[in-house]
Amino acid sequence: MASIPPKPENPLHLHTTKLTLGCPILDSFLGGGIPCGSITELVGESSAGKTQLCLQLLLSSLLPPSLGGLSSPSLYIYSEPPFPLRRLLRLSLPSLPPRPLDHIFVRPAHSADDLLSLLSHLPDSLPVRLIIIDSIAALFRSEFDNTPRDLKSRSSLFFKIATKLKDRARKLGAAVVVTNHVVDVVEAECGGARCLWSSGRRVVPALGLAWSHCVNTRVFLTRSEGMVRRSNGEECEVRTRRMHVVFSPCLPERSCEFAIVGHGVLGVG
Amino acid sequence: MEISCLPISASHRAKLLSAGYTTLSSLSSVSPPQLSHLNVALQEAVDILKVSSESCRVEVQDGAVEFCKGAQTAWDMLSEEQALRHISTGSGDLDSILGGGIHCKEVTEIGGVPGIGKTQLGIQLAINVQIPYDFGGLGGKAIYIDTEGSFMAERAYQIAEASILDTFDNFGCQLKEIPEKLKAESFLANIFYFRICSYTEQIALINYLDQFLVEHKDVKIVIIDSVTFHFRQDFDDLALRTRVLGGMSQKLMNLAKKFSLSVVLMNQVTTKFTEGSFHLTLALGDSWSHSCTNRVILYWNGNDRYAYLDKSPYLRPASVHFSVTGKGIRDATSQCKRVRMM
Repeated sequence: MASIPPKPENPLHLHTTKLTLGCPILDSFLGGGIPCGSITELVGESSAGKTQLCLQLLLSSLLPPSLGGLSSPSLYIYSEPPFPLRRLLRLSLPSLPPRPLDHIFVRPAHSADDLLSLLSHLPDSLPVRLIIIDSIAALFRSEFDNTPRDLKSRSSLFFKIATKLKDRARKLGAAVVVTNHVVDVVEAECGGARCLWSSGRRVVPALGLAWSHCVNTRVFLTRSEGMVRRSNGEECEVRTRRMHVVFSPCLPERSCEFAIVGHGVLGVG
Repeated sequence: MEISCLPISASHRAKLLSAGYTTLSSLSSVSPPQLSHLNVALQEAVDILKVSSESCRVEVQDGAVEFCKGAQTAWDMLSEEQALRHISTGSGDLDSILGGGIHCKEVTEIGGVPGIGKTQLGIQLAINVQIPYDFGGLGGKAIYIDTEGSFMAERAYQIAEASILDTFDNFGCQLKEIPEKLKAESFLANIFYFRICSYTEQIALINYLDQFLVEHKDVKIVIIDSVTFHFRQDFDDLALRTRVLGGMSQKLMNLAKKFSLSVVLMNQVTTKFTEGSFHLTLALGDSWSHSCTNRVILYWNGNDRYAYLDKSPYLRPASVHFSVTGKGIRDATSQCKRVRMM
């Protein structure tokens, strides 16, 4: 059988669609929104806002392209049950189609192999254009020891999962968002990863250097607490949440403040 | 006749090739002690040179004029090399430790941690290779093989615009109207972009490049970003992986020589446990490190980006501070930047 020679593409025709986050400040911070066709990682400590942002994206993907959405259903794969249905119900966005929950597919994953099998068996006819994995870290916590052999097989799984996700992202023009946890940094050297401060601790993303090579964009969500003196002389505690672009194919390193309010996540300009 | 056709062992062949000996004529004036510097036993070096001189004599019809068909004088080789321009990286400091920029006819490996700027450098080179000959560039086209999905056309457009403007600035030109072929859109259209999703696709594409390059002789750079990604899974048998990688790097080297273009391979970083602690090292193993003529390692020094020339046939190791800006790769702007010779 004669093989078909590969055909090059012209970059002029490769436009990256972006998925809105539902807030103009955050969209502008991310150069339009979450890019389609690649993997974006949201990393942060517990309660940093990762799941909240993911739930907001589940809704914004239902918006029409004119409003920055993808007019498509989404798939939410969760590894830390239960699925946060109540928080999803509290979110709202203007101009959503009726019965938005009908267009959100939800599936738990129990382990890394389970996730790999799930991704391999996703029917091509499923038209999701947003795939969320919340969180990838929980899938790798307990199964692997620190022996070189286990680390190697763990790292091989990272690349297999990332390949399947990028495949889907490319074929369907989908945005893939993966959440990850952080671990504390003990030594003075951070090694390959650059660390950030969150809640007064120096932290780096979990899963190490190999996983870092698997994602295209890394966004770090941090929290910090500080005392602020108000104009009336009173001192009060202020909690700041910040979103940092750690690396991205097209954005410079920068950070932006955001807040989590009742009905969603908003940037603070 | 090429070294690759000589009846010598694969490891000897790899050592000769990575040291820059690719044709029989390049071996014609080398002595065994010189060859033994390549980590080859003296007797083996004598054998290799004997085999190569025998292969030469078989070809020659008129032995009186040339020892070996295709032999050149050193002067001819020097002029030919000078005629081959280097591809600027966008940063003058980085260009200077590279001997002017990325070299044609050679394979250069660029490794670093995620976010250090490998893809940015790749895109910058795919743009800079197109700078017209009259402006000091090669006026060539680029092949960009993307295995990770990090190439974004909007970023390439931004880099192209800035590179074109900076080129005009450097030459003190004030063009009232920019001709069509010097617009950012043309620069983007001159990049042949391939998105590769598995290692078999990667090998098939590299095999196909020979035919593609015959049809597109104006391509002067082939970038693979990254050469590593698809090789970090599916290979339980590491010996097989080494063989496959070896074959691939051989083909790429041949393409570089045959078509006088440069091949730039991006590599990832992994941790290696040696002597009781973890060290950062380039991925794909020790045998891969012989596959490239040049190697540049990008790394963080605090909050600054540095590039270190780790391997080169004729340049000293050195490191330099550079930056990634909205315009692309540029010199670092801090006052304390300097080139450090090791």
